[in-house]
Amino acid sequence: MTDADLLIILVVLSLHDGLRLGAQRLFYNILQNGPELLWNGLVFLVRSPLLLPDFYRAVVGYFQSPIFKRRADKFRSLKRGYYSFLMITGLYVLSFFLPLLVTDVAWYVRYEGQSYFPVVRSFAGYYLGNVINFKSSYFESDFGLEGDAPVKYRSLKRNFEEQKSNNKVVLAPYPYSPNESNLDEYEARPPHKPDRTHWFGTDDRGRDVFARMLYGFQISMTFALIVTFLSYLIGVSVGGYLGYYGGMFDIVVQRIVEIWSAIPFLFAVMIVVSIVKTNHMMVLLIFLLAAFGWMGMTYYIRGEFLREKAKDYVAAAISIGVKDTTIIFRHILPNALTPVISFMPFAIVGNISALVSLDFLGFGLPVPTPSWGELLNQGREYLKSYWLVFAPLGGLFTTLMLVSFIGEAVREAFDPKQYSRLR
Amino acid sequence: MATYILRRMLLMIPTFIGITFICFAVMRFVPGGPVEQAIMQYKAAMMGGGGGEVASGGSSNSTGEVSAEMVEELKRIYGFDKPFHIAYLDWFFKVIQFDLGESYSYQRPVWDVISSRFPVSMFFGGIGFVLSYLVCVPLGVMKATKHGQGFDWASSILVFIGYSIPGWAAGIVLLVIFGGGSYYNVFPLGGMQSMNYHDLDFWGKVGDKFHHAVLPVFCYMMGSFATTTVLMKNSLMENLGQDYVRTAFAKGLSEKKAIFKHALRNSLIPLATGLGHFFSFLLAGSYLIEKVFDIHGMGLLSFESLISRDYPVTLGILVISSILALIGNLLSDLIYAMVDPRIRFK
Repeated sequence: MTDADLLIILVVLSLHDGLRLGAQRLFYNILQNGPELLWNGLVFLVRSPLLLPDFYRAVVGYFQSPIFKRRADKFRSLKRGYYSFLMITGLYVLSFFLPLLVTDVAWYVRYEGQSYFPVVRSFAGYYLGNVINFKSSYFESDFGLEGDAPVKYRSLKRNFEEQKSNNKVVLAPYPYSPNESNLDEYEARPPHKPDRTHWFGTDDRGRDVFARMLYGFQISMTFALIVTFLSYLIGVSVGGYLGYYGGMFDIVVQRIVEIWSAIPFLFAVMIVVSIVKTNHMMVLLIFLLAAFGWMGMTYYIRGEFLREKAKDYVAAAISIGVKDTTIIFRHILPNALTPVISFMPFAIVGNISALVSLDFLGFGLPVPTPSWGELLNQGREYLKSYWLVFAPLGGLFTTLMLVSFIGEAVREAFDPKQYSRLR
Repeated sequence: MATYILRRMLLMIPTFIGITFICFAVMRFVPGGPVEQAIMQYKAAMMGGGGGEVASGGSSNSTGEVSAEMVEELKRIYGFDKPFHIAYLDWFFKVIQFDLGESYSYQRPVWDVISSRFPVSMFFGGIGFVLSYLVCVPLGVMKATKHGQGFDWASSILVFIGYSIPGWAAGIVLLVIFGGGSYYNVFPLGGMQSMNYHDLDFWGKVGDKFHHAVLPVFCYMMGSFATTTVLMKNSLMENLGQDYVRTAFAKGLSEKKAIFKHALRNSLIPLATGLGHFFSFLLAGSYLIEKVFDIHGMGLLSFESLISRDYPVTLGILVISSILALIGNLLSDLIYAMVDPRIRFK
């Protein structure tokens, strides 16, 4: 195609009625609304961190509304979803006590007439170790052993039993930590088959698979909850502004959203993770997944706002001179949170899968964080060690199944549309 | 209709520019980009006694420090010597001429490298896509017509399993069970063909391909199984509740005719829109499934390009798959407007 051809095509195109009108309207709009548009964008950027209390109030307001109560009652009557909800909440709360239940640190040590509770220190160290400085573990010299490495309580227990003294060690119910290597217990090379001590065997470095699976649950859930929360925070506020202001602001930002969603998100996350070197990989991953995952919610919230905006209470609020932000967050938002509730379980499913995929590909959480994806990757390498696949897959399957049961029930309770369910 | 398509195409231009801009900016502004990576690699190589691969020669003293000239040379190679907007424009005008630069690790133009992987991804993605529609549509129809009965309930278990296990993870399980790891040795571990592929006769070749394709194709199907089946079922259920179906029954049509001649045609509309994303499904492949089965398609290429820090290939794939997503959106809308006469082109 020569330049002349191109020029002719361009002229023909620009003469086309619809196009010309469209272009004119676009330019007029930009001229008219440009300053306001810029101003709104700036206000939004500056205010966004200050919006958290508004969000909190909106969510509380939504929870107190009679319509929410009716729907929550309906949700409670759907047994499968409700029990899944209770179960996963219980498991998640329980998982915070994992450093107490599944750990190599002893619960109780009696040495030379004195009592010690090492697990209290290690439990505190697990959550507060980075915040305050204190002695989070006992050392071998504390219990009359040679050396000053942290105590190995299982061998300490054996020692005390051989000595037949009054000294005593009470171990945790499942006395293995996720990051501890148990190579000294076996002669063969890892991974080792499941046996009575290691219920799901060990991985390629001799670490206990059962412990890693359980800790992986806590990390996956925490990760998914934070990412979902953050991406909904962005999605809800952007969607709210789009629906409330509409017009040119809406059109331009929607184009940006479209661009942002056309980028393949997993690949983009992988690119950034492969380039950036940081000690806070978890924070980076949370940030990235939220940054690429907020777009879906904007469409729904925008729709809700378009609908709510036309109602009388909004007109009343505008007429008495309430500020825009107040109208958006205090008046409309509590009435527009239904999509957030009904899509949240599915977003959590998506975020857990995304984390597992990234871990599997090696672009996820740094080693030696216990993770399902990493175990699956090992399972792909050691195909003869079936436990490396079935353990994390069982965890993943159970979690996702329970969460999608919740999602189904939530949708049935909150979505008036009858046939939109996975049944 | 031509006007509509033209307008949509023109609207794609600013979006395309925006996408290329973001892709380029990500690669350029993320800390620790290619130049720093190359410097680090070079330093490591010098420390380790001069071994290792370095992207370029250049002068450097023996203490492992990288000289200023060397940094300049690296910047020139990676196009970092120009200011951002000029570098972007240079790259952009090359991209619209399909010139995506030269791959570092393959020493070939990026476009050649990527397009050589198209057929592989197309083979698996295409078969998986077609089969998943062939399975999910009838299953969804069956579920809708037998709503609430035993069949519906039993197949719902399958749907939930399909929804809760990602396709690629199911692939690993299949490999453990059927790949000769722990239980049965029925299917090969991965790849496209056997070692002795070229010695086989025609039917042997077909059989061999098929033998290698069974597990990956199953995983591709599993990825979309739950959502497609449920979409089909719900859409048909919704139509079965409409007045025109009641009318059809009332005037004495048989159940078969009422469902297949009236309700089914309308309930296929939401599925038809999914066809638009056919191409991105075909070409972009799945990083995960291709990695599990060691299929050398686009997905595995993008993964390998990240590992080997082959930035031109990474950027090329990013641009191509974003464009495919855009074209997919357009195609979906067009198909939607074509199959649903209630939608007007505007």
